[in-house]
Amino acid sequence: MTAHFAPRIERSHGVARLGFGCMRGRTRLEALRQEGSAKAFVHPGASGPEVVFLNTSGGLTGGDRLAFGLRLGAGCRVTATTQTAERAYRSAGGVARVTVEHEVGAGAHLDWLPQETILFEGAALERVTTVRLEAGASCLLLEAVVLGRAAMGEVLRRVHLNDRRQVLRDGRPVLVEPLRLGDAGLVAGRGVLGAARAFASLALVAEGAEARVEAVRAVLDEPGVAAGASGFDGKLTVRLMAADGWPLRRQILRVLGVLRDGPLPRVWQM
Amino acid sequence: MTALLTLVQWLSPAFPTGAFAYSHGLERGIAAGDVSDAASFREWLRNILHHGAGWQDAVLLSQALAPAADHDALDALARALAPSAERLQEGLEQGAALARMVSGLTGRALPPRMLPVAVGEAAAPLALPRGQVAQLFLQNFAGNLTTIATRHVPLGQTEGQAILSRLLPEIEALGTRAATASLGDLGGCALAADLAAFQHETQDVRVFRT
Repeated sequence: MTAHFAPRIERSHGVARLGFGCMRGRTRLEALRQEGSAKAFVHPGASGPEVVFLNTSGGLTGGDRLAFGLRLGAGCRVTATTQTAERAYRSAGGVARVTVEHEVGAGAHLDWLPQETILFEGAALERVTTVRLEAGASCLLLEAVVLGRAAMGEVLRRVHLNDRRQVLRDGRPVLVEPLRLGDAGLVAGRGVLGAARAFASLALVAEGAEARVEAVRAVLDEPGVAAGASGFDGKLTVRLMAADGWPLRRQILRVLGVLRDGPLPRVWQM
Repeated sequence: MTALLTLVQWLSPAFPTGAFAYSHGLERGIAAGDVSDAASFREWLRNILHHGAGWQDAVLLSQALAPAADHDALDALARALAPSAERLQEGLEQGAALARMVSGLTGRALPPRMLPVAVGEAAAPLALPRGQVAQLFLQNFAGNLTTIATRHVPLGQTEGQAILSRLLPEIEALGTRAATASLGDLGGCALAADLAAFQHETQDVRVFRT
């Protein structure tokens, strides 16, 4: 496993933005911009196009800049994910900044299901994920974080993660999750991480989302995962914590199986 | 000046906001065995104060005390920050009760808002230092959880109050920091305490609303 050591990465810069439009019930790619280390591929999927974003720099380190974005026109349905887990390596100085900005037009739906972010010792990552929903639009969001790799005995002592997630409807905040995890948080104890070194948050923001809570609770029994789901205010939120990434991933797949129609993007299939 | 005494009255457990009914997930933490003695309760409480709703609410409260505060926008943000149904409920119900009581006492029209925003809006005319208001708010929050832990872990009364006493310097420092913090400083990682609030919703035997 060579990835144990941070590869020598020059400061990288990448932007990938895609726009989709919907004509007679079919969602089509209308615009694509790719720069630097960011790439995006579009595959036909069972329930609309599947977008797979890729960071070709092989990981993030201090000073890197990466931006992904999707714009969905009215009525579009798109599922988007990332090709691999995003690795944040030790920073020699500065922070890696990732900006994810999605716009979901009237009545459109986005599944934003990036693979997990793996933080290595000394990683410094600041990420802002913003989803703007227009009237009647909805989204399903996932964020999963793995702290080192427990299977290899890695124990993180220094990390800087500032990971803000926000969903706005017509400009007003409807879901804000500002996660900040630093050195103190890693060792703070039972109210913070306890023994968990992997965690995830899922959120469905949609009219009537709260009605799905019982169906999700029925699958929250993956061994090795502490889980909870709540439905309120046009939202269904799910939190998962586990000792490492594999049980977490299994539980995520089962929750997504309940909340999505059709098969998962290939990169998520185990 | 009666400003300080007024605020202490509004934040006291005797003020009818029903704070005693909200355990902020602690009831689940106790049932699950995560909080089982003085040391584990102290850790849980410190985690929530530093990394969870303690810091978050102190920042929201401090912002709501600012002269040009946009209370509608702060309330929308506070609602969006609630991770689960019960966390929204505990903020809304206590905030509405406080606003209603202070309206009745002062004649000011105070709309129902999430608790830290409601306290900030109510307390702004008292013109107390923002850090002091945040400190008293945090002390009250920690005191309520300490009372719940004392009865339900259970802890000895002196043991429970000793935990709170030893946390006062940290509460003081958090309130002082919150006074000059911006909304960009919001954020935390009390993931296990948050998860306990989620799991409380499906707990079989419940004394507390949250």
